[in-house]
Amino acid sequence: MDCRYSRPESLAEAVAVLCEAQEATEGEAHLVAGGVALGILMNEKLLAPRWFVDVSRLAELKGIEASEDGGLRIGAGCRHREVERSPLVAERYAILAEMAAEIACGRIKNRGTIGGNICLADPQGDPPVAVIALRATLRALGPKGTRDIPATDFFKGLYETALGPDEILQEIRLPPPQANEGAAFGKFSARRAMDYSSTISVAVRLTRDPASEQILEIGLGLGGSGETPIWAKETEKAFIGRRPGDECFALMRETLFAEIEPLADDLYSQDYKRHVAAVIMKRTVEKAWQRSGGTA
Amino acid sequence: MTQLDISLTVNGARHELSVGPTEMLTEVLRRRLDMTGTNRDCGMGICGACTVLLDGQPVSSCILLAALADGSEITTVEGLERDGRLTAVQEAFLRHGAVQCGYCTPGFVITSTALLEENPSPSREEIVEALKGNLCRCTGYKKIVEAVEAVARAKGDGVGVS
Repeated sequence: MDCRYSRPESLAEAVAVLCEAQEATEGEAHLVAGGVALGILMNEKLLAPRWFVDVSRLAELKGIEASEDGGLRIGAGCRHREVERSPLVAERYAILAEMAAEIACGRIKNRGTIGGNICLADPQGDPPVAVIALRATLRALGPKGTRDIPATDFFKGLYETALGPDEILQEIRLPPPQANEGAAFGKFSARRAMDYSSTISVAVRLTRDPASEQILEIGLGLGGSGETPIWAKETEKAFIGRRPGDECFALMRETLFAEIEPLADDLYSQDYKRHVAAVIMKRTVEKAWQRSGGTA
Repeated sequence: MTQLDISLTVNGARHELSVGPTEMLTEVLRRRLDMTGTNRDCGMGICGACTVLLDGQPVSSCILLAALADGSEITTVEGLERDGRLTAVQEAFLRHGAVQCGYCTPGFVITSTALLEENPSPSREEIVEALKGNLCRCTGYKKIVEAVEAVARAKGDGVGVS
């Protein structure tokens, strides 16, 4: 089937072209940013695109800057390598650099974009897990204007997001870091350079109450633990008001086992993945706790 | 069929091409430009056999739409030698026996070249990290890492891609 290709010159034009393309192809139009997942899906014959809207060159999707509220704004079109090496990210949200460093390998990081990965919503993806833990806001532009979607409400089903077919993810907005905050990213994979279906990842952001030495707030995102990137809401509650330790982790394990339903694959069973998720979560919470200034 | 006019500078030579929107860069290099040094294997960005430099950075050309590379400078393994002289990386691969069947070799050579351009004296760990995305089913990697280490130790004479 014939495929069209458009390269709009502004984000507003891209939204207009995307609307036209979706209507003309009955929803078979695709945005192209890094083109990584898209190329794989095409080679695997899982995708037969009929209209590409190339947003890879749009200046409005680039850049990493401090935002007016003291947080950070990351353009959806920023490549993983840029996130990994950004001094601003390293200084204020090191967990994102830690996460980006773990994505596949250099070739992929040089092309793939943080926004593209979030919109793909692969259950094994790393950026989704991090933005959930950090309570990021995902800002999208559509024909009706700008819409802010909490990352915790973005991932709806297997490769499905809250984004409409005519909306474009514009930027990831991170809230300002808090006092006594610590964050960490942990990952388990069969081969380090490959994000296969057996990958399990955990992102943790917490704040420590220095008076009680307990966890005040916590954000938990999990990859490879279900059909979507997971916001582990119930497991978060198990940590609040507790100090990381044996008792706390036993409760976490019990809650987490009930909360996640990892998909079994040709390497690991569902039960084994639950076990691994709990182990990686414990290690990652401990790391985040130490980074918040808490003692072991 | 929709065709797009793109321009690629491959190993210093500019090419004006008309490509289909779904055509991947590997195919354009191999079929249109007869540059068969860039190999295609997994088709999923996993093995690294198709690695080329896009504006100096390694990318998987088998999953890259040629249209996305419009206006870019591409370096393939054919573009490394100068007047019939191999680069230090290529020489080291030969000397250290880092090549057996050779299918993965262009990808390893390109990736190693990019690493040494960016960091002329990488540690063993940095070499392994940079090459972790390339698969070799013959050599067991040891000799490949040794070849890159040897170039790093020799302070990178003639390593450059340009």
